[in-house]
Amino acid sequence: MQRLILLITTLALAACSDPRQEVTAQLADQVLLPAHQQWLRSNEVLLETTRAGCAGELALAEIKQAFHQTQSAWSHLQPLMVGPLSEGNRSWQVQFWPDKRNMVARQTESLLDEAPELDQQQLDDASVVVQGLTAFEYVLFDEQVAIRERRDRYCPLLVGIARHQQALSAEVVTLWQQPEGMLEQLTTFPNGRYANADEALGGILRVQITAVDTLKKKLGTPMGRLNRGVPQPYQAEAWRSRRSTENLIASLEGAQAVWERVRSLVGDAQLVADIDEAYQRVHDQLDALPAPLMEIVQDPDSQAQLQSLYQDLDTLETLQQSDLARDLGIQLGFNANDGD
Amino acid sequence: MPLTRRQLLGSGAAVAAVAALGGWTLWSGRGQSPLLLSARNDAAGKHYAVGYFLDGQRAFATPVAERCHDICRHPLLPLALFVGRRPSRESYLVDLRDGTLLQTLRSQPDRHFYGHGVFHHRGQWLYTTENDTAEPGRGVLGRYRLENGKQLIHDGEVSTHGVGPHQLAWLPDGESLVIGNGGIRTEGGSREEMNLDAMAPSLVIMDRHGERLSKETLPQQQNSIRHLAVASDGTVITGQQYHGPAWDSVPLLAIKRPGQPYQPFPVSNRQLAMMKQYTASIAIHSEKRLVAMTAPRGNRFFIWDLDSAATVVDVPMADCAGVGAVPEGFAVTSGQGKCRFFKCQAGGTDSEWLDLPAAWWDNHMVIG
Repeated sequence: MQRLILLITTLALAACSDPRQEVTAQLADQVLLPAHQQWLRSNEVLLETTRAGCAGELALAEIKQAFHQTQSAWSHLQPLMVGPLSEGNRSWQVQFWPDKRNMVARQTESLLDEAPELDQQQLDDASVVVQGLTAFEYVLFDEQVAIRERRDRYCPLLVGIARHQQALSAEVVTLWQQPEGMLEQLTTFPNGRYANADEALGGILRVQITAVDTLKKKLGTPMGRLNRGVPQPYQAEAWRSRRSTENLIASLEGAQAVWERVRSLVGDAQLVADIDEAYQRVHDQLDALPAPLMEIVQDPDSQAQLQSLYQDLDTLETLQQSDLARDLGIQLGFNANDGD
Repeated sequence: MPLTRRQLLGSGAAVAAVAALGGWTLWSGRGQSPLLLSARNDAAGKHYAVGYFLDGQRAFATPVAERCHDICRHPLLPLALFVGRRPSRESYLVDLRDGTLLQTLRSQPDRHFYGHGVFHHRGQWLYTTENDTAEPGRGVLGRYRLENGKQLIHDGEVSTHGVGPHQLAWLPDGESLVIGNGGIRTEGGSREEMNLDAMAPSLVIMDRHGERLSKETLPQQQNSIRHLAVASDGTVITGQQYHGPAWDSVPLLAIKRPGQPYQPFPVSNRQLAMMKQYTASIAIHSEKRLVAMTAPRGNRFFIWDLDSAATVVDVPMADCAGVGAVPEGFAVTSGQGKCRFFKCQAGGTDSEWLDLPAAWWDNHMVIG
């Protein structure tokens, strides 16, 4: 009996003897795909709620709540969107950021001026600027938009965006789950995308590390880091709904979900401790922000706190981009980042 | 009358040359496994000029001081120039038999290389695209003379009739060149673009002595014409890098058939969106009438029918870099993962992973 157990154990170990393949498969099945499914579900709720809200069956606050859920799911997903969602211009269709010239407001209004009875086809054929959550947020939260008085003008757009997002997320989840889809390509090697698990793990880490860099930009841009230190509050992501910080936290947690699985592969215990600590520090600092980001970037008393948070994000990025990549022997970028 | 190998090598080296040619003949007789030439880094970031047989066997890996970009294969001799990547002022002449560095070719004062060059079919002249850093962006075609089969000597220059020239290639007459003028001004020591709101990209055809034969543009001013390949019938395909908004849909591939105007190559908007506004390497398979292209930012590799524009291959491939035609299809390298071989037949295309080292391959490769 003991021999049999030993044999079974040996076989089981042999079947998943490559820890990287095991971690990659776990990430795909237990972290990445569920995050895409959660995003799809939030879009389904957003569509139902928006339809009901626009039909007068639900309060506007319900649509806002559903919107927050969708924003949060999308923010969580960004560090995890390896494959279909990162390809083509799909992610631009979800969110238009940065919006340096207030294009969302201008293009939304001009679309509705041109097509007062907007139908789905018109929206699906329109610019990515008006198809996503940023335009939805503009309609729902911008003070210039009198949504309560102008449901006739704005509701077709809200329902249209919600339907566009639902269709987009359903398409992406299908691309994950179909035969030879993304899930299979992250679990069975070689395949049409990856030669081996190392390449797949590299692909996941590249997306996650890029997302941490994007977090820095989402914080640094409203702080004025691209503007000689002069704050740019209207360059904050989701400034209209005052949810920038919540979004940053959701993205950080998405990134951390990857790290939690990858850490078992890291040989250097000190590096593991350093990265754990870096996540904790960034999380604590984000939790401690006293007011919406677009407000505190303009508050002189909060500058030291923001700088410290930015520095901690920078440390986290460096630890992952340099030390973690080196420890795992993964090439993060070559021609794609520095081509000619 | 083409120059003979003996003339190129110089009479003083005749005996050595005969011996060398014997080796060269044997060496090139491997036939079934072509030699892939490319610039490559190692994990520590050091730069190499490398030659690998497609079966994975290394021919050489010669350390070089600066990162290289494209490779100019000599038409007759076992030589190639590995051209320094923008804004390098060095290129490296390498003996392909054993990887010996024959010469570090330095650019002239106030000039740097753009990473591309070509040998003339007779073997005596080399032409490279260069930047006049005294007048940043002014495109220059540098001319070099090959002496004794192992030294390139600067011999003069002419204008490329455009700003920021990049790749160049011969048309079938072997005397006129097609050049992608990227349209971007950069200074001598930097890769930073100075004129993104006033770019002036152009496709120029000129004879090798400098006379402009044609100059054409695409409608989008910020669509930088960078890389190109020429089919045996003279059809030119160019690949662009767009510096406008990420969500714009612009022609990232264009075609100039002999005697016809330069125009977009008809690929779908869906495929254009996959390229993330950035194309890297182009290769044409003249016998199969196919064109292949890498899009490393979109992690996507494509092959189309050159005549019908029908899609033959459209696959994900991480940081795909150089592409080159081999008898049965195309070989593709990667900056991040394993290299691949696409076997293109009438019944369909198969792909397999090559037994070459993975990652750190630069944007271009030459199969020679």
